[in-house]
Amino acid sequence: MPKPKVATDWLAACAGCHMSLLDMDERIVKLVELVDIRATPITDLKEPDENGVDVGVLTGAVNTTTNEEVARRMRSRCKILVALGDCAVFGGVIAMRNFFKLEDALKRAYVETESTDAEGKVPADPELGVPTRVRAVKEVVKVDVCVPGCPPDADTIFYVLSELAQGRIPELKDEKLQWH
Amino acid sequence: MITLTIDGKEVQVPEGTTVLRAAEQAGIHIPTLCDHKHLFPYGGCRMCLVEVEGARTLQPSCTLPAANGMVVYTNTPAVREARTFVLTLIFSERNHFCMYCPVSGGDCELQNAAYGQGMTEWPLQPNWQPYPVDGSHEFIVLDHNRCILCRRCVRACAELVGNFTLGVQERGASTRIIADLDVPLGESTCVSCGTCLQVCPTGAIIDRVSAYQGRLKDVTRIKSTCVGCSVGCGIEMIVRDNRLLRIEGDWDAPVNQGVLCKIGRFDPLTDQGERILTPLVRRNGGLKATTWDEALQVVASRLQTMKGRNGSGIAALASTRLPVEALYSFKQLFADKLDSGIVTSIEEGVTTALPGWVARKLGKPFEGTLDEIHNADLVLAIGVDLVENHQVAGFFVKRILPQGCKLVVIDPYDNGLHALADFSLRPKKETDYDLLVGLMQVIASLGAVRTHPIGTHDLTRHTPDNVGRTTGVPAEAIREVGRLLAEAEHPVFIYGKGLTRASFPTALEALLDLARMAGALGDTHSAVIGTKGQANSMAAYLFDLDKAFDLKGHQVAYLALGDDRPGTRLLEQIENVPFVVVQASYASPLTDRADVVLPATIWAEQAGHYVNLEGRLQEARQGLTPPRDVRSNLAIFQALAEALGITLDENWRDALQQRVWIGQPDACR
Repeated sequence: MPKPKVATDWLAACAGCHMSLLDMDERIVKLVELVDIRATPITDLKEPDENGVDVGVLTGAVNTTTNEEVARRMRSRCKILVALGDCAVFGGVIAMRNFFKLEDALKRAYVETESTDAEGKVPADPELGVPTRVRAVKEVVKVDVCVPGCPPDADTIFYVLSELAQGRIPELKDEKLQWH
Repeated sequence: MITLTIDGKEVQVPEGTTVLRAAEQAGIHIPTLCDHKHLFPYGGCRMCLVEVEGARTLQPSCTLPAANGMVVYTNTPAVREARTFVLTLIFSERNHFCMYCPVSGGDCELQNAAYGQGMTEWPLQPNWQPYPVDGSHEFIVLDHNRCILCRRCVRACAELVGNFTLGVQERGASTRIIADLDVPLGESTCVSCGTCLQVCPTGAIIDRVSAYQGRLKDVTRIKSTCVGCSVGCGIEMIVRDNRLLRIEGDWDAPVNQGVLCKIGRFDPLTDQGERILTPLVRRNGGLKATTWDEALQVVASRLQTMKGRNGSGIAALASTRLPVEALYSFKQLFADKLDSGIVTSIEEGVTTALPGWVARKLGKPFEGTLDEIHNADLVLAIGVDLVENHQVAGFFVKRILPQGCKLVVIDPYDNGLHALADFSLRPKKETDYDLLVGLMQVIASLGAVRTHPIGTHDLTRHTPDNVGRTTGVPAEAIREVGRLLAEAEHPVFIYGKGLTRASFPTALEALLDLARMAGALGDTHSAVIGTKGQANSMAAYLFDLDKAFDLKGHQVAYLALGDDRPGTRLLEQIENVPFVVVQASYASPLTDRADVVLPATIWAEQAGHYVNLEGRLQEARQGLTPPRDVRSNLAIFQALAEALGITLDENWRDALQQRVWIGQPDACR
């Protein structure tokens, strides 16, 4: 039986969840024995295989139209979609912005910051994604497995991927269920 | 007894027990949020829903009384689904993002409840409505975004503290916890006892000092006794990396049952000033750091030459915040071994000498315990302001007033209790005795004397009208209060410094006789409580450390202050003493004036025992490691004794029994 293919991508995230993935240290070798790691933001291959992977992992919240596209692309190319980390699961720290108006947040970030001079303006390049209300991944595409944590512990990530590699849906409880 | 079945287990409970408590008794866990074991059942959150055979719907177990033959299931699919639904709605209401909340990771009951249901996500996203954060209070932050409206804080403020500051305004999603009529908490009637903080299940009420400083699993909890006053509340010190992060009331403590006041909970966490970290000896006019050996030698040689010179030798004074062990060594060293002219405590017996004299005259203790207040239907407080001092005892009084308990306050001065009193009597100074005898006269005239007084009082002369003229208290009020005392089934008498400060004992003896007539003092029962002063006032009394500190003619003053901060009077008293030793934790004008300064531990850095106002012997434990060159008060006395070639014993338990106790003596046995 070929090893299950795993691809990951990030949306609006701090990269902490991917750092936590690396934090599993030498067990990453064990993980490679279990799964075929394909595209990730921290390896050369950036986009999940067009002909699909078995497990897709998304970290971060959906914050712009670009994030939406990335989320949809991953969903369409994977069989099981994992929302990894509090931003992907709940909206996380990114979703603090939802307690304010989007315009106010952009103005604060690009115009009113202490380090911004009088030239400060909100970027409006058509190449850029358009900011949206912050959403959890499941508000945009169907999610099969939620792994909360900020970030989830390396042990938890290893457990989740190893369970999925062996064809089981991981059950998170006790030490592995953390919302912070 | 009632027999019911919970999850197939037969449980027997007394009538009136709720299903939730019955399940607890059977070792069956039902998750809760608004329930708190020290508050009345509320039934607000619906986390505790259970299935009851024959009932149409799921029932809240926290408010459901157990009934005979009831069959309860606590973990059916319907129950589990309901719990998750309840949590789903709570999480959708406000900002419950855990990743930037100080109580996340063990301290949050909401998060723990979600873990208990195995929730890996929120079925409903929040509605993104921001709520205000009230940061106006010196110690407490009230973040409405984290609030689940369980009303534990509101109930604790009313039921446990009797302060009624917190309430609720609006309805539905706009519902908000408010202080008074919606003023900032820092400008409200809040007394900063922090009980709301202790009962809050989420991060809605947090304290500034410990927020983000350590989660449940990062900290150590040490049970101890508060040394803020003579009430002696049970506390838990929450410590991380040798830093005191937080103080909580010990729910299991017999004295306070979890409640603390500002003095016990917050004051020790505020900046206490400059610590003394090394022994200091005066050389060429200035205080210079030195070794313990040298400092002890300087003190010992001076004490040696002054030994036994009664009246012109050593005067020693110890703080009543020191533990029993230290006070006992202090007494042995200075009174028994060095035969000093004055050996006393910082309070000079102002709160204990008089009741002690009365107890010795009676040949037995005459005071009851604070528990008496819980069942009182009348509290008479005389010469004591329980709003200002001994606040937890004040909370006990305030919280039973809504149950119909009458409050009579006798105090010529401003007193926080006056505003709450049914009768606020302000007799002219030095007329307490007449007022008390006047009240006796009313009880006698009503034929309601329950126990005859011991003393002889001229009742015929003390008619309400006569007493009214002497004391300035309206005669009608005297009649009314006398009638209340005659009718009360469980009157409690609390007296304080206002009564014991007087130089003659007649008013206190009259109070005891009044209590006897009202049925509050008998051979086997006493509902008379004296508040005393500091944490170990009683121990100082039992060790005979209750004389006036009159320094005239003494050549050496030894002030064992510990972490106490005496007023300026002491500084004036030692002004002309040739040699002054100060044993203290903090720098002060007194240490500046000293010839030798010995650095001592603060309360949290030392272990020992305290005798509270009831006479209850309680243990205080060490929570913090002192700085390297700082020694415990006991260790300093022992080292000093060694330098003097004196041997001290440690039989403080026996020594405590030498004097007649004022309050319950059993605790010490």
